[in-house]
Amino acid sequence: MSPTAKDTTMHYSGLVLGAIFIPVLGAFCLPLAAKVSKRLRNILSFIFIASSFILCLELIPLVLSGQTVSISKQFALGLNFSLLADSLAVFMACVSSLISAIIALYSFGYISHYENQNEYYCMVTLFLGAMIGLIFSANLILLYIFWEITAITSWRLIGFFRDKPYVLKADKAFLVTVFGSLLMLIGFLNIYQQTGSFDLPVIKESLKFSAVSNLTVALILAGIFSKSATLPFQTWLPDAGVAPSPVTALLHAAVLVKIGVYVFARIFIVNITPDVLWHTIVPLIAGLSAIVSAGAALIETDLKRIIAYSTISQIGFIFFGLALGNEVALLGALLFILMHGLAKAGLFLCAGIVEQNAKVKDITKLGGLISTMPITAISFLFCSFSIMGIPPFGGFFSKYLVFSGALAEGRLWIILIYLVCAFMTIIYLFRVFNLVFLGKANIPAREASPMMVKSVATLAILSLVAGILIYYPYQFAQKASWQMLEVIR
Amino acid sequence: MYALLVLVPFFSLLALNLPFRELNRRLAFGFAAILFLLQMGLVFIPDVYFWRVHLSFFANIFHFQLAADILSKVVLFCIGLVSLTALCVSRSLIKESEERFNFINIILLAVAGMNGVALAQDIFSLYVFLEITAVSSFILIAFEKDILGLESSFKYIVLSAVATVLMIAGIAILMFIAGSTNFSVIHSALLSQNRNLLLSLSIGLFLSALFIKAGLMPFHGWLPDAYTAAPAPVSIFLAGIVTKVAGVYCLIRIILSVIGFNDQLKGILLLVGAFSAIFGALSALTQSDFKRMLSYSSISQIGYIILGLGSGTALGVAGATLHIFNHAVFKSLLFVNSAAVESQTGSRDIDKMNGLAKQMPWTSLTSILGSLSCAGIPPLAGFWSKLVIIIALWLAGYKIYAVIAVLGSLLTLAYFLALQRKLFFAQPNDEFKNIKEAGFGLIFPAFFLAALIVGAGILSPWILSNFILGFNSLVGG
Repeated sequence: MSPTAKDTTMHYSGLVLGAIFIPVLGAFCLPLAAKVSKRLRNILSFIFIASSFILCLELIPLVLSGQTVSISKQFALGLNFSLLADSLAVFMACVSSLISAIIALYSFGYISHYENQNEYYCMVTLFLGAMIGLIFSANLILLYIFWEITAITSWRLIGFFRDKPYVLKADKAFLVTVFGSLLMLIGFLNIYQQTGSFDLPVIKESLKFSAVSNLTVALILAGIFSKSATLPFQTWLPDAGVAPSPVTALLHAAVLVKIGVYVFARIFIVNITPDVLWHTIVPLIAGLSAIVSAGAALIETDLKRIIAYSTISQIGFIFFGLALGNEVALLGALLFILMHGLAKAGLFLCAGIVEQNAKVKDITKLGGLISTMPITAISFLFCSFSIMGIPPFGGFFSKYLVFSGALAEGRLWIILIYLVCAFMTIIYLFRVFNLVFLGKANIPAREASPMMVKSVATLAILSLVAGILIYYPYQFAQKASWQMLEVIR
Repeated sequence: MYALLVLVPFFSLLALNLPFRELNRRLAFGFAAILFLLQMGLVFIPDVYFWRVHLSFFANIFHFQLAADILSKVVLFCIGLVSLTALCVSRSLIKESEERFNFINIILLAVAGMNGVALAQDIFSLYVFLEITAVSSFILIAFEKDILGLESSFKYIVLSAVATVLMIAGIAILMFIAGSTNFSVIHSALLSQNRNLLLSLSIGLFLSALFIKAGLMPFHGWLPDAYTAAPAPVSIFLAGIVTKVAGVYCLIRIILSVIGFNDQLKGILLLVGAFSAIFGALSALTQSDFKRMLSYSSISQIGYIILGLGSGTALGVAGATLHIFNHAVFKSLLFVNSAAVESQTGSRDIDKMNGLAKQMPWTSLTSILGSLSCAGIPPLAGFWSKLVIIIALWLAGYKIYAVIAVLGSLLTLAYFLALQRKLFFAQPNDEFKNIKEAGFGLIFPAFFLAALIVGAGILSPWILSNFILGFNSLVGG
């Protein structure tokens, strides 16, 4: 290897390590920074998250040219420290860190008058770091470690307000997700016994000519479904709506629930080929979960719970796209992660503004807010359009691609479930918009602080821009899906 | 030269009670602290400088055979660590200097006994050192001479006496079979024997004695009472190390060096271990007394250690030993936390307390780390030992037990979350509005132990490979 090539490898490894460990280690400096000034702490928190985003951006040219970065340090029992940055990972990391950075900006305003701010900023930053770490992990145990760190941080974040019912719900979320991840750990052990390694590339090699048992797949799926709040583990997610709105945006919409989706892609598409049976079972479970939660969103009256149910419903679409396994559907699912993240984070943040200024979460008591908070209302509408899948918003393209991929597979009756879901999405989002922003103004509420409004507007505009300039994310996601399916073009 | 580890605490105990008691009383704390620190440091000294130096002078006077391997060293380190913690805590909780001096004396006696247990190479010395440890714990439990303390101390004496009788009977039969009390002699004698009723009887007697000492379910009756009734420094000492050495370490040592693994033995260990792990955790779920919950948690964690041992592989024993260390750290930490809460609020009833996190931030933070480590949440230290135990069970083919161990972690998490929810999170109620954080004497040890949990957790991957290698020769076949 020539010296320059070595330097480049070092450079890229440095980027990956930096993207993980700047927020992870930085998180613990924040309480110290708060001793100097609160402003410094807030800004540092944003800088840590944003630098993670910038480092991930720098990896894009490399992965687009078809190369990958891998770091590996061997330890006993196969508990290796192995990282791998391929286009799937970089795509996911960019999406997560971008949305987290915007949410961090929004928090400056939202969280400023509550207690325990040190804990909040520490946990948000640590969460993002663990998320990036999980994305780049190429070892199942390393992945599990980061997975549990995200569980700890979300436990603390959901329990941010210390009233008893809130804390109980935080504990519920922690227990449900840990239950799932423990089942997943058993699944990992099964794979370890079969292949003698926890390293994904090694597992992939040794499973080329043999299959994993259905039990293993089911155990790992239990972990994935619990984290992504899919039937039958979905109940913790709406309950977790008691958290502060930036947290719900971070956890429910943008990042946490995508962990399950990402790990599904990482394990079952890239590395292990499960039995054909699962190509039917996964879309079916995800479809049921999507339709049940869409129904719940239709009758629920708590603003944040509606959006939470909507998340569960949309996650179903992503699983659907991934489980179909053809190139178009996969492409659609990846774009769905981006578009849904942007738009759903926007919805939650809008809900946060409404909740904080109107002091009410019940949509039947709200009304006419468009006259007093126009920017929030328009942003809410834009984000809703994207979730509904109305062109030219980003959400249209992802939903369209998932459906067209599904048509190519030709299982009409499953497609029908999802079509009904998509239709219900339009109804319940219009219902919310109608009740909250239109009609007679019941509660006088003004617009929130400029920083909060700006971050909401940014997300809304990004949802629109991502649709108009669909070419760029499309190219990236296409590269990623080719690399995942090992198609050579 | 490791005979010094037994002799120095023992003779210093005598020296402290000779003339100049006034002076001694002032020096005792510093002296004991340095002694325990030295013991922790000695473990890291390369073998040639300390562990292989032979002193024929002592060997001629005292006829007991001692030896140290990696298992002994881990336990010796834990003894030093937990004793030091208990000592620090006693400084702020046992106010009267005469009382504290007595406490230090008894701790020194117990440490001499435990070091002897950790190093003994023949079955009779093991028994004698065990009794020294047991007698000092009787006194410690009833240290405050209150009715509850005396009652639970008496309970422990009775059960311990039963264990003693069983053990002595077991030793007698083994001596009858092998003609010696030395571990290796008995081991080779057992290998040449066919399985017969007498042999099984002696092993059975010995194992039941150790199950009682370790407080495994269903032999656990004395343990929650003893831990709860004892004063705080004593609870730390008992839960952190005494029962681990007296029960669990002896069990591992006897099985590795004397009996050897066979299928029935593994079956019994796995069954008892799994039973303790699950029912200990279930009982902990229902407790409302802070220390009682921690006691049942101890039973459950001892179950994990026994599960690791029951896998019968080097990996499993390594995991079990690592879990002894981790348990010593996080359970001492949690008992220090309980001492802090009790000393500040005057109560241990977690149902009554609310939202202490604001008033006692450091206690809250360190107790979260201790709880999560106990529940085996990565990247804290407890995760690695549980993972090694579970991998060992899985690879040895005991998949059902591995699943039980994994799901037991969920129960552990459940009761610790309940504890955290009631004690620290939730809104503070008026009664406890004016509580202040505990003093430096309670915060410093908690902080130190919490740092150890995080540090050991992050460094574990580096340590594990060497650590596990050390057990290959120990377990053999």
